[in-house]
Amino acid sequence: MNNETDASRPNPQEDHLSGEPALSDRQRERPCIMVVTRNGHMSEHVMDYAVNVGHRLRYAILAVHVDTLPFFRDRGRRSRLFAAAMQESAALFRRKAEGKEVVVEHLGELGKIGSVVSRLCHSKKRIEFIVIDKGIRLEEIVRQAPVPVFPVLTSKQGLFNKTLFHHPKEKGVFAMSTTSRKRHLNHCFLFGALTTGLYAAVFANQDVVMTYFTKGGVFALLPVATVFAVSYFHGNFTSSFWSALGIEASKKGVAKRVEPEITVKETVVAPRPDTRPRVQVNA
Amino acid sequence: MHGPINEVIQFIDLNAYTITFLFLVGFIGGLVSGFIGSGGAFVLTPGMMSLGVPGTVAVASNMCHKFPKALVGAIKRYKYGQVDIKLGLIMGVFAEIGVQVGIMVQKYILDKWGQAGSNLYVSIIFVLVLVTVGSFVMRDAIKMKRAPTEAGAGTSLAKRLQQIELWPMLTLKTANLRISMWFLVPVAIATGMLAATIAVGGFIGVPGLMYIVGVTSIVASATELVIAFVMGLGGTLIWAYYGMVDIRLVMIILAGSLFGVQLGAIGTTYVKDYMIKYVMATIMLIVAVSRFFALPKYLNELHLVSMSETAVTVTTKMSFAIMCLALLIGASIILASLFKARRLEKMAALNA
Repeated sequence: MNNETDASRPNPQEDHLSGEPALSDRQRERPCIMVVTRNGHMSEHVMDYAVNVGHRLRYAILAVHVDTLPFFRDRGRRSRLFAAAMQESAALFRRKAEGKEVVVEHLGELGKIGSVVSRLCHSKKRIEFIVIDKGIRLEEIVRQAPVPVFPVLTSKQGLFNKTLFHHPKEKGVFAMSTTSRKRHLNHCFLFGALTTGLYAAVFANQDVVMTYFTKGGVFALLPVATVFAVSYFHGNFTSSFWSALGIEASKKGVAKRVEPEITVKETVVAPRPDTRPRVQVNA
Repeated sequence: MHGPINEVIQFIDLNAYTITFLFLVGFIGGLVSGFIGSGGAFVLTPGMMSLGVPGTVAVASNMCHKFPKALVGAIKRYKYGQVDIKLGLIMGVFAEIGVQVGIMVQKYILDKWGQAGSNLYVSIIFVLVLVTVGSFVMRDAIKMKRAPTEAGAGTSLAKRLQQIELWPMLTLKTANLRISMWFLVPVAIATGMLAATIAVGGFIGVPGLMYIVGVTSIVASATELVIAFVMGLGGTLIWAYYGMVDIRLVMIILAGSLFGVQLGAIGTTYVKDYMIKYVMATIMLIVAVSRFFALPKYLNELHLVSMSETAVTVTTKMSFAIMCLALLIGASIILASLFKARRLEKMAALNA
């Protein structure tokens, strides 16, 4: 549908074909929408909303990821994960925008949301309004923003902790694959070593083991305890082994299967007939 | 060989062939169990016996490897949101009762008609149950493949049973249904009885959960793992109390089967609902054929028919080979569909 309408209008397509420098020139002149998130992965409904509005109003988009805890004391792990997630999220945003020929500029910032927004609003020209992602409270930003701020609400917005933290079940195809692969590899070696140790211990002392394990009575607990240990060590080893090889559960399938549970809860807690993203006006 | 224990029970010596065989059968059995909730056990017991392991030790060791495997599989599939723990535990407890009933029936038959009679009984149950249930599941899988419905488990029987309000009503969240406990109990007891008779309760448990209780095949096969864990743990404690568990065999089988069960569980997240039914029905029907070939031996022993010695040996061997084939075919269907779905998903992700 969109492709057809775009094709019927020659101008935007020509602009698009005219190359990269032209785009950045135009972007400078064009008014833009600032989309702010404090999460590594920006919510998709926020991206969709921004892209749709940008397309309709012919605005550009300035996507800002704000790392609000740059000095979090975990030896930089959070920052690294945040940066990786940000890259993936930005790539997704760009892909979404490409289809509608909306220009997206991406920025990674550090610090408090309010001060970042205020600084950007003053340094960047022609920010028309701000769209905020879940996890950002309206009050944090409104006081320091010279332009209107809109949160995008959907019925998919969950509990507080779900809005603040990136939930692994919802990570979709754009997982933080590089870092998790390394973790699986580490687990694989750790539990592999433990499993080998356990097997070596049993098979090196076969005689003793077989004498006691087959005594029966209370000694019945020995084989049962051993297989529990095997299932823990070897179970973890095999799990991380396949994950390290890149053989993991289908993201699509898992999301699909988890979904019914959530929809049931939603209808009970807050029946909302209209689930489209909507804008709340504060200014 | 190893001192005084061998005077009591003959535990076998391990060699490279034994270890490789057990590891591989463990892996393939685990793969199938992770996917359809049970299986593999029916090959392991005769397989171990063919290696020279005494019957009771084979059964005990098989039982002892089953519950950790089921545990690991259940945990893995719980992470995917497929396991209904409440349903599994309740069914597991009643299945345990079913196991005891099954053992009593076995004992009665053993006393009345001897070993050959008991074997014949087991084989007839095998063929009867597998052919009836297997063909029913297969028909349903084919129907679902042709006309994919929204909820495959919505059989009319299950729906009617769910509407009957009989006192202990259970609300099962993951399975997403509400049913009286009285309808779970017969399924659970039948599962236990079948487990005591042919070592694979899942062949009644999973279809029972799907068609009588009304659970989807994915949740049914995942919940069966919980049932298998409860039954297996109970059984193992009893066998270990008599000192029949050969921990070395168990650990070798587990080494393979935990690899398999993880892969099988991963596989369920890629395939459509009917695929689980399809794999299950295929295995059941092929195993039924295999047991059919085992019948002449027992009929001969009971002097109901007279066949030559060589013919009996050939049919017995064929029976075991077909049984292995059933498992292999099941495993290859699972692996093929897993890797095909993965490829498709990757391509879709690239195109998106």
